[in-house]
Amino acid sequence: MDPAVSPTDPSPQPDPLSSPLHTTSSQSPISFASPDDISPSLSSLLSLCHRGQWNLLLSSLPSSSPLSHPPHLHLLHSTLSALSLFKLRRYPDLSRLLSTLSPLDSPQYHFQSYPSIYPHLSGSFVPFSLRILHALLPHRLGDRPQTLDRLYDLLCLCRTHHWPHRESHVLSLLFAHHFSYKEYDVALSLIQEMLEKDPSDPVVLSRLGYLQLQIGDLNGANSSFQRVESVIKEAGLDTDASKGNLIGRNKALGFVVAKDYTSAVREYETCIERDSADVVAVNNKAVCLMYSRDLSDAVKGLETALERIPTVAVDETVVVNLCSMYELAFVNHAEVKKTLATWIQQVAPDDFDPSCTRI
Amino acid sequence: MSGPTTAAGGASPGQHSLAFRVMRLTRPSMHADEAVLRLHPNDLFVGEDLISDANPHVPSNLLDLASSDSSSAEGGEFDFRKRLFIDNPTDAMGLSGFLLLPQAFGAIYLGETFCSYISINNSSSYEARDVIIKAEIQSEKQRFLLLDTSKSPVESIRAGGRYDFVVEHDVKELGAHTLVCTALYNDGDSTERKYLPQFFKFVVANPISVRTKVRNFKDNTFLEACIENHTKSNLYMDQVEFEPAPQWTATRLEADEHASLKNSKIRDLLKQPVFIRANGGICNYLYLLRLHELGETKDDADTVLGKFQITWRTNLGEPGRLQTRNIHNNLPPKKDIDLQVVTAPSRVILEQPFSVHLRLINQTERTVGPFEVYIISGSSSDDRSVMLNGLQKLVLPLVEGSDSINFDLNMVATQVGVQRISGITVHAVQEKKLYDPLQDIEIFVDAE
Repeated sequence: MDPAVSPTDPSPQPDPLSSPLHTTSSQSPISFASPDDISPSLSSLLSLCHRGQWNLLLSSLPSSSPLSHPPHLHLLHSTLSALSLFKLRRYPDLSRLLSTLSPLDSPQYHFQSYPSIYPHLSGSFVPFSLRILHALLPHRLGDRPQTLDRLYDLLCLCRTHHWPHRESHVLSLLFAHHFSYKEYDVALSLIQEMLEKDPSDPVVLSRLGYLQLQIGDLNGANSSFQRVESVIKEAGLDTDASKGNLIGRNKALGFVVAKDYTSAVREYETCIERDSADVVAVNNKAVCLMYSRDLSDAVKGLETALERIPTVAVDETVVVNLCSMYELAFVNHAEVKKTLATWIQQVAPDDFDPSCTRI
Repeated sequence: MSGPTTAAGGASPGQHSLAFRVMRLTRPSMHADEAVLRLHPNDLFVGEDLISDANPHVPSNLLDLASSDSSSAEGGEFDFRKRLFIDNPTDAMGLSGFLLLPQAFGAIYLGETFCSYISINNSSSYEARDVIIKAEIQSEKQRFLLLDTSKSPVESIRAGGRYDFVVEHDVKELGAHTLVCTALYNDGDSTERKYLPQFFKFVVANPISVRTKVRNFKDNTFLEACIENHTKSNLYMDQVEFEPAPQWTATRLEADEHASLKNSKIRDLLKQPVFIRANGGICNYLYLLRLHELGETKDDADTVLGKFQITWRTNLGEPGRLQTRNIHNNLPPKKDIDLQVVTAPSRVILEQPFSVHLRLINQTERTVGPFEVYIISGSSSDDRSVMLNGLQKLVLPLVEGSDSINFDLNMVATQVGVQRISGITVHAVQEKKLYDPLQDIEIFVDAE
């Protein structure tokens, strides 16, 4: 798997690991018995990731690792930089970074190539997400077919290595991709594969229902939602708040389809009472209020959510909906949207996409 | 995203306090969040083969053992880990159930329901009073009144307030349409009635075309229909029904279930829905039609077979409905006069007269005739090898409607071997109509 090469970069930084058998005598052997072996600053790295402070993370990572850093740490830094660049939508820069790396399957990224540093370890220390970033990048640069090829290759890799969780992850990424391109028949076969593995996963079954709703197959969606309900009840999980809300939100969608927005709103309110941070219920309730001619309360619902539960409500979909409502509600909607955009900028993580306000 | 606007000036001078804001309300969509990349923390911080059977001493919960401060003392910073980390890999599907409002006016097609949110805003500092609001759709041929508050005008729209309504209209005509919204009101201290008209134009196009082919084979009539999708969305074919005309029964012929589904655990959940791709996708349907009563013939060239009722759906079940015109059977036109051979000898003797027995059938309801029967010579200048013996023209009397007449032609062959009797033609005298000649009859002429 060759990393992307950026032809415009004059002199990419070479990968220090490309020289064979990079070892230092000062490096004590690593066994990964404790998380500190991953990185001495793991907690702060995690913190920055949690807060979405990608700019800060990027600037705090060393551009070239000192010789005292073990090879896996150097690659971890490259991975975190790559992820930061992806999150910040700096795709040409990401392309340049990836071009400085050697092919991800090369032995210099294997533990056993450094027996003095990793005496009892074998296998690849490439973080799997680096492969994902490498696969997703071409599409962001305008080459969709290349991304599809790489994602399907990645799927094969997961199957060859018997990595079931990563396989599910790649299948899921493919599903999201094909769905966003309205290739619903492909999305259906992908979700079929996922359900063959676990036909009783209520969350995936619900998503099948959402796909069927988007297609317009109302009977199919209804069957799927009924299946979700029976699976949850059989497992005795219907008292669980998140499962109860899943059933409730699916029921509400049935009302939306029937244009019975009053009942849908009632259903979403029950969900919100159970879990005030259920942002999907909050968002959808606002949409239903708007369809019931209650634009004012719809707007209020979303504005309140942004203030009250920002860690889940500061989401591009919620903001797009709110801005659509502003455009309808106010003649001077440009001003109102600007106020919103300013507020979001102070509160949102670095990767929030401001173009969703359509200013 | 209010629709394509062509606002016309009001009839009165001065600024309007009120303004219309319009948004087309198709159903919302399910939204897949493809832009935000979510990963498992292990796949970010830990090498792909580290936690595996190859390295048994590495704890599988290695990363969980790390501490991270999830809350911060600094104000204004939040924990957005849900935008990055997932526990369950399928959460990367991005389909959490969010509904997304329509983001564009979109195209409008025949058979759909046009639905619109109309908000009349008062962005001035004056109160608007006694507001008469009307909303109407004008097509090329008709006007449809959707809303009229004349009988009970809106008493007041305060400064900064609004009055909202949702209108719906089933689109049944093609071509240019205009949504006309008007408001008649007083504002401030003025008694002058202000008139605010606003126009939103859109064009209604044809969403699908249905091409049919009829094939007749013995007692069976097969009807093929090809539906083509001209819209920009995938259309889910909720209902494609052929409604046969009274004398026909119709059976839909379907393909066998796909092999991959036969053994599936989730077969009942995943019957592949029939949907037709956007921008030119097609789907074919096949029906077997049979006449109810065996006695009835299919000879009526003008037979109406029936018509299609089609219901499609798009996101969240947004419906569209159309029916086709009558579909006709494509039999060749029935002849009004039919000439048939009853018997003809297969072997005759050279220069010895023989008879060919024929029947003329009148397939119309009315009396036709009289008729002349003769042989039309072919274009070649060869001597006819089989000729009429005696009078070269036989006259037949009138034949009543749906009746027939049998007659003989006396003939003689002048050459041996396999010969053809060709060119026997019927001429209806009064109607001055010459019918197509009878098909050739083959005979064998023997020498004595």
